[in-house]
Amino acid sequence: MKPADTSAPPYLSALPYAPPRSALPGIVWPAVPDDAASRMLALQFQLEHSQWWPPEVIEARQFEQLRLVLEHSIRTVPFYGSRLAAAGFNPSIPIDREVWARIPILTRREVQLNASALRSSHPPPRHGAISDVTTSGSTGRAITVPVTELHGLFWQAITLREHLWHQRDLGGKLASIRSRGTGTAQYPDGLVAAGWGPSTDLIYRTGPCAMLNHACSMAEKADWLMRQDPDYLLTSATNALELARHFRRTGLRLATLREVRTYGEMLPGDLRDTCLDVWGVKVVDMYSSEEIGYMALQCPQNEHYHVQAENVLLEIVDDHGHPCREDEIGRVIVSTLHNFAMPLIRYEIGDYAEAGGSCSCGRGLPVLKRILGRVRNALRIADGGRRWPDFGLAKKYRDLPAVQLQVVQTALDALELRVVPGEGFSATDEARLLGYFRDWAGPQFRISLRVVEEIPRGPGGKFEEFMTQFGDET
Amino acid sequence: MNAPINPNALPYAVPRSVLPGAAWPAIPNDLASRLLALQLQFGQSQWWPPEVIQARQFEQLRQVLAHAQRTVPFYGSRLSALDLTHAPLDRENWSRIPILSRKDVQLNRDALRSRSIPAEHGAVREVTTSGSTGRPVSILSTELPVMLWQAIALREHLWHRRDLTAKLAVIRVHPSLNAEPPDGVAMPTWGPPTDLVFRTGPAAMLNGSCAVGDMAAWLCKQDPDYLLTTATRALALARHFRRTGLSLPRLRQVRTYGEAMSADLREQCRETWRVPVVDMYSSREIGYMALQCPLHEHYHVQSENILLEILDEQGNACRDGEIGRVVISTLHNFATPLIRYEIGDYAESGGSCPCGRGLPVIRRILGRVRNMMRMPDGSTRWPDFMLAETRNDLPAAQMQIVQTAPDVLELRAVPARHFSAKDRAKLLDYMRQWAGPQFHVSVRIVDDIPRGPGGKFEEFMSLLDPQT
Repeated sequence: MKPADTSAPPYLSALPYAPPRSALPGIVWPAVPDDAASRMLALQFQLEHSQWWPPEVIEARQFEQLRLVLEHSIRTVPFYGSRLAAAGFNPSIPIDREVWARIPILTRREVQLNASALRSSHPPPRHGAISDVTTSGSTGRAITVPVTELHGLFWQAITLREHLWHQRDLGGKLASIRSRGTGTAQYPDGLVAAGWGPSTDLIYRTGPCAMLNHACSMAEKADWLMRQDPDYLLTSATNALELARHFRRTGLRLATLREVRTYGEMLPGDLRDTCLDVWGVKVVDMYSSEEIGYMALQCPQNEHYHVQAENVLLEIVDDHGHPCREDEIGRVIVSTLHNFAMPLIRYEIGDYAEAGGSCSCGRGLPVLKRILGRVRNALRIADGGRRWPDFGLAKKYRDLPAVQLQVVQTALDALELRVVPGEGFSATDEARLLGYFRDWAGPQFRISLRVVEEIPRGPGGKFEEFMTQFGDET
Repeated sequence: MNAPINPNALPYAVPRSVLPGAAWPAIPNDLASRLLALQLQFGQSQWWPPEVIQARQFEQLRQVLAHAQRTVPFYGSRLSALDLTHAPLDRENWSRIPILSRKDVQLNRDALRSRSIPAEHGAVREVTTSGSTGRPVSILSTELPVMLWQAIALREHLWHRRDLTAKLAVIRVHPSLNAEPPDGVAMPTWGPPTDLVFRTGPAAMLNGSCAVGDMAAWLCKQDPDYLLTTATRALALARHFRRTGLSLPRLRQVRTYGEAMSADLREQCRETWRVPVVDMYSSREIGYMALQCPLHEHYHVQSENILLEILDEQGNACRDGEIGRVVISTLHNFATPLIRYEIGDYAESGGSCPCGRGLPVIRRILGRVRNMMRMPDGSTRWPDFMLAETRNDLPAAQMQIVQTAPDVLELRAVPARHFSAKDRAKLLDYMRQWAGPQFHVSVRIVDDIPRGPGGKFEEFMSLLDPQT
């Protein structure tokens, strides 16, 4: 364990200074929490240590755990029986990288087609009750994955780790804007809960959490935020970006905001700069999915991500299935370490990511430099390669009136800007925007601009700043 | 990070899991989870700035004071006069609480006991100890301080990154074990609390009241990785190994407890076995007070268990480099709360530590020292009389045994109250029984037992020529 960042003023209600709630009368510090909280903190204790282990120790522990997963799968999951045997897996021999790489990659399509053959016939009863998670996924093909309570326990543990990493002040107010069922937490009031949510409240005393249904206008969201005046804002990345732009345009301020927390979408290239510029706060992003849980959290000291190696083995592989080296971009392949109801082994989740090297923070957890979303979010270039575009809009685009913008590649050599114009969007603005993108793309692309009424969100309600709409990858 | 990694050593070792299929991270049982929940908190609090640590201590001590004022007769008037529970505690109002002497504890055994011990703190038991100064006291304690004891014992392993699969040899007085030489007793694990949480290697135990030669022969047979014993025994053993040329090829560390360390113990162990000494400062009635820093030879106060003050003659806090009386307040014993209790040791106050921990530093502990006793046949052994069970009903407030000749032992006693001929006879009986027929014994009543050089109290003092 390493020293906390003591350069920050020691708010006694902020992590790592806040003590857990104690279950014993007369005892406040150190706390003696109840059994459920103790179990969670016992996991946290392990996570605290394992994050600093050297990569080879982490990988050795992962393979020890995965050996149990494979052993369980070969015995109780029909889909894997022959597949693992064919790959040469022998439960009595320790796994290493070579054995592991022989296991075929599991596609999303296979998960859809083998829904019942992928279920364990004998999930360990002590892993708790099983519930089904159905996810539309970013590619629009729904899959259903049964998960155990143990899987949920790790979800909670990593939620807590994320607070610890970012030294949140648990006494602060959290505002959350996300999609919810119709009629729930609607504007103008939203809904205010007494605590931040079960993962945090199980352990700590927390401040209030204000929630707002995503289904309202940007001006209404801003108005609600102004009234809530939160310390932390949790919302999707594109929503955060649009809000920040709205605040910049209107000159409104959020006086106590300390951090914007984002999830669920690839981060627009200019989000960090915009939030820093408008609110003076940093963005903390996380990478998770319902069927897998947390895959990566943003490093406490850098803008890249650390794989949550205690929850998943995450591989980044190139088109030939070989592991990517540092700075290379490849497909994300994940294996869950603890879901014995439906073990996902070398599952291709559909995202692309850029592999990182070691981290200056000292953690041994692998680094993801960027998470790049789907293959259709990559720009295709004439030589057959792909690039994940960063438009650098934060600086160029700040004096333009309100627009919502999507860039669509309609052919190998054509980009279309789709624009939802705001009030005061003029022909000059249109020309400037076109000029900027011509500059950005270079002469090999034809650039056009189309005014639209609305930009539809992708599968799972995710906004895509860039997408391709041609060929077979749409 | 350049040293080769041993996956069985902390912090790489993984707790035992109770869930089939979930090896890493482990899901431990309830008891182990509670200890690890404390461990997580220790992992954080050790790095807190000193002012945060102190703020948390005073929050907890405020609970202790409120409980003591309400339910402990001895403190009722003492504390209510000071009216401390209405405002947050700070150093200034804390220092208004009178010091509790060991004699106060001896004389107010019953009045110091809470009339309403929280049932949630677990079963109540009695703890009797000679402490470091030969004055026996008896207090009540609950299971909660035991849990803190266990949690800090685990922290000590973590700090010193022990290899839990290695073999541990323990030489101490084991009242409940028949661990006599030449065999001692072999145990499959290191015992609680380590094996409550982790898989451990074996342990071997030897009763420490035998001759040094017997201990050495046993150790050679055991060939341990770690040796846990008192500082006096460790020193005698190191000298013995050096003299005889015996060796302990696997030994990695000598762990000492329970006595102040003589100045040359570290050097002797380094020269004889090429291993470091890791010392700890604890007492039966308090639990852990300080552990040796993982990177230095000084100690860190275990502020999560106690508030430890080092005070000068005027009762003011000693500054860095000053030596003063150790005054302890327990944070979690609601059965007999000890508030500003003068334990009888002296310590040298330290400044901040380069390791980065905010836990206060003690440079040296000047507590109990113990001489080895030479038997009339020329062999030496460790005088274990203070641990004998019969001590509780002896009528003396403080005692010391002095070996004045190869076959003569004198018991010096400071009476607790008025001393009768019957009391004296009782002491003489005790001495005869303890010393055995090979010694002539006598009892001398004294007003005071002076400390030796450096403020060390010697509960067994030998006036014979130093061993060669």
